[in-house]
Amino acid sequence: MLVLVLGDLHIPHRCSSLPAKFKKLLVPGRIHHILATGNICTKESYDYLKSLATDVHIVRGDFDENLSYPEQKVVTVGQFRIGLCHGHQVVPRGDPEALALIQRQLDVDILITGHTYKFEAYEHGNKFYINPGSATGAFNPLDTNVVPSFVLMDIQSTTVVTYVYQLIGDEVKVERIEYKKI
Amino acid sequence: MYPWSSSSYGGQVATGGQTGTMPNGLDDQEKLLAEAAGAARKQAFQMNHFLDKERMLDALKCASTMLSELRTSLLSPKSYYELYMSVTNELCHLELYLSEKSNKETDLYELVQYSHTIVPRLYLLITVGIVYIKNDSTLKRSILKDLVEIATRNILPDVLVADNEHEGNVYDAIDFVLTNFAEMNKLWVRMQHQGHSSEKTRREKEREELKILVGTNLVRLSQLESATLETYKRLILPGILEQVVSCRDAIAQEYLMECIIQVFPDEFHLQTLDPFLKSCAQLETGVNVKNIIISLIERLAAYNQRSGKTSGNAIDAIIPAEVELFEVFSVQVANIVQTRTDMPLEDTISLQVALLSLAQKVYSDRVDYVDKVLGTTAQILDRMNMNNISHLMTVNQELSRLLRICIDFYNNALTIIQLLNFYPLLEKFDYTSRKSLALYLVMNILENETLVPTADQADSLLTIITPLIEDDTTSSTTATNNSADAEEFAEEQGVVARFIHLLKSDEPDMQYKMLQTARKHLGNGSGQRLKHVLPPLVFAAYQLAFKYKAIAEQDENWDKKCQKIVQYCHSTISALAKADLPDLALRLYLQGALVIGEIRYTNHETVAYEFMTQAFSLYEDEISDSKAQLAAITLIMSTFEQMSCFGEENAEPLRTNCALAASKLLKKPDQCRGVVACAALFWSGKQNGEEMRDEKRTLDCLKKGARIASQCLDTGVQVQLYVELLNHYLFYFERGNSLITVAMLNQLIAKVNEELPNLEPSEETKQIESHYKNTLAHLRSRMESNDTALEVSFAGITLN
Repeated sequence: MLVLVLGDLHIPHRCSSLPAKFKKLLVPGRIHHILATGNICTKESYDYLKSLATDVHIVRGDFDENLSYPEQKVVTVGQFRIGLCHGHQVVPRGDPEALALIQRQLDVDILITGHTYKFEAYEHGNKFYINPGSATGAFNPLDTNVVPSFVLMDIQSTTVVTYVYQLIGDEVKVERIEYKKI
Repeated sequence: MYPWSSSSYGGQVATGGQTGTMPNGLDDQEKLLAEAAGAARKQAFQMNHFLDKERMLDALKCASTMLSELRTSLLSPKSYYELYMSVTNELCHLELYLSEKSNKETDLYELVQYSHTIVPRLYLLITVGIVYIKNDSTLKRSILKDLVEIATRNILPDVLVADNEHEGNVYDAIDFVLTNFAEMNKLWVRMQHQGHSSEKTRREKEREELKILVGTNLVRLSQLESATLETYKRLILPGILEQVVSCRDAIAQEYLMECIIQVFPDEFHLQTLDPFLKSCAQLETGVNVKNIIISLIERLAAYNQRSGKTSGNAIDAIIPAEVELFEVFSVQVANIVQTRTDMPLEDTISLQVALLSLAQKVYSDRVDYVDKVLGTTAQILDRMNMNNISHLMTVNQELSRLLRICIDFYNNALTIIQLLNFYPLLEKFDYTSRKSLALYLVMNILENETLVPTADQADSLLTIITPLIEDDTTSSTTATNNSADAEEFAEEQGVVARFIHLLKSDEPDMQYKMLQTARKHLGNGSGQRLKHVLPPLVFAAYQLAFKYKAIAEQDENWDKKCQKIVQYCHSTISALAKADLPDLALRLYLQGALVIGEIRYTNHETVAYEFMTQAFSLYEDEISDSKAQLAAITLIMSTFEQMSCFGEENAEPLRTNCALAASKLLKKPDQCRGVVACAALFWSGKQNGEEMRDEKRTLDCLKKGARIASQCLDTGVQVQLYVELLNHYLFYFERGNSLITVAMLNQLIAKVNEELPNLEPSEETKQIESHYKNTLAHLRSRMESNDTALEVSFAGITLN
């Protein structure tokens, strides 16, 4: 089961489009679910995600105007409960302990957040945390060297293999991280 | 009467007793054809039989009888042609036989003259003539002359297919075919004027079926291998054109001009453009001159591309330099447009489209050619006083095509703005079409990721896309009436917004100039537009400020420039605030505060404070929805928590205001969560660049949160808040806030333990239970942990 995780696009506020190399990788019909961490911003971007997979889950980012997006969401894929939250509500920003608060509240195995524009994937207290970064490498006042990135999760019963795609320079680099549910 | 029969032939037919009008019925035609073909086949069989027996005279007699079948006026032209084909096919056997035996039968040419009717006589003469010429080319001239005499006397048009050419004197061949062509064309044209006018359609259909026969002459001419370019220029083309122009028949002219284009080689066309195009101007009014010229242009352009590919040469090498293809077409097309006043405007524009594609395909680097076409088109419209051309007019499509072709061809908007006539021509359209063309251009820019590097170029492009930036001043209808329109509007504005990011110069000063230019243009739009197009400008400006900071060492004025940029952002954001977009403006102010805090130019603290207070006033004055309020104050707090540029003088009022604002939220749960979030300001919030770690005030926030929670009447919500609070207490407890005691934690645990079992079973209750269960599990793991890094002792915590 392939799950695309991405967010903080900020099109058209901060950039004009997804990197062409990412668009080439993201082809319709391969991906089963999309989990978006927010700041999708426009209907066009939403429609684009919809064109990649019909099952699209989005939470509201600080620059999302669409009031119908929830602040948090839980999605079950395979045997995993996956929590989704943009993360601008979390103080201090991106703090693992602060994120753990949300993980406990949502009662999830995997917590996905964005807002830091920096890819991260780690285990903390036996739970798995993913931040796909910004798929467009959007401008961020606190980090002027944002690397565009997104994540693909391959979920097989109790194992999730995470592939992170990062656009470094002009090349897409892929890394693989595995997490097993205990 | 059979259409192409001359009067003399008619007389002969009359004596043969075969007069009559042509039967109309299809069945009759088939029957007649079958009969005639049957009789011809029978004679052919006989003829072959006699040939086998070497009985030449009998064979010729049979051939003659067979050929007599062609003496009919009952068949339609099509059926006649079929019969003709099968009979001439049989004649080939005779010809073959004769060529083998010819040395014996030297007087055959005389012999066949005795055939009693003219039709068989002529065919036999031709057949024998061919055999003679094949065997002895010295006879060629005299025999051809003899045959042409008969043809030019206009006795029988059917001889046309029997033309002979090949070697010898090519001029005779040309002369012969041209004469033949002329006569045949005359007959073909004459068909149009015979018979009743009510049968016009049928006649035209018949003529259509016969056109290939006339065209064959041109094919023959083109097959003369020894006819050089010189010959073509001097004899062949003038001969054909003279006939075409003088016949004054639209069907013939249109077909034959097309024929010329298709049958003669491109190299010839290139050298004879002037006479050909001049003739085009003289054609009848009904002729679709546009199609003829477009066909020629397409052919030459294709030739150029084809040869370019195979030879790999530079384009100039394929079309000889001395042939000024574009100029010639340009002048002649103008001439045609001027003389043919009856031509519809659409066709005139189509011609311009063709010229344009010629310029692009053959002279891809000559932007001036393309521009000239656009200029000419604008002039044509000027002369006709055409303005505000409606998108509903047919000519609009062709005109739009002209501009779209330019956009598609260059795939570079920077080239488009080099076309000085592009914008003037665009201005001739109505708002709707200008807008859709503007959108087309911007989409092209986005697809090609065309970066716009200078302010002047940005200015030109933004001028072209004005219809996307400003409302239609000529019409009173506003665009956003229903949701479908609103969606389309948002999409279109999104496209403009994306485009703004492509205004990008490596030179920071130029980048700033560009942003100013863009601001000037985009500021003219209504509030609905500003919402989409101003935020990109603000973010672009923020990025630029960082760029100046990065080159601070090379640019001593970077500080001042940053101030200017921040001013630019401030005024742009306040324009959004004024346009009744407080939520958006608030977020942009907060982003700005972060940027200013990071850049740290002179005076940055005051300005950052100003940005924060702007956000606060928007929060207080403009945002009334309680959900939006909670979201806004949370954002203000989380932004402030990250900022380290403030001295206490500025930080303290901001902190207190956050706390105050949180406690004044409308709903109790919101108040509780807001106040608890505020705790972070006193803990990890910065004071003189360090984390503040104010244990007391952090705890005060938590305590206040607990107090507010206790005021909630809904026990479900209350328990939920207690569980959340427990988590926050734990968070600061683990971080080492020594004022938070185990007793406090126990108290909260006891409260939850007491209330949780009383909750009505529901989905919410289940969520609270698992949240609590997870919290306890976390606690337990901490208590059991041997991790020496843990600074605090969990000893004494009672879990149940």
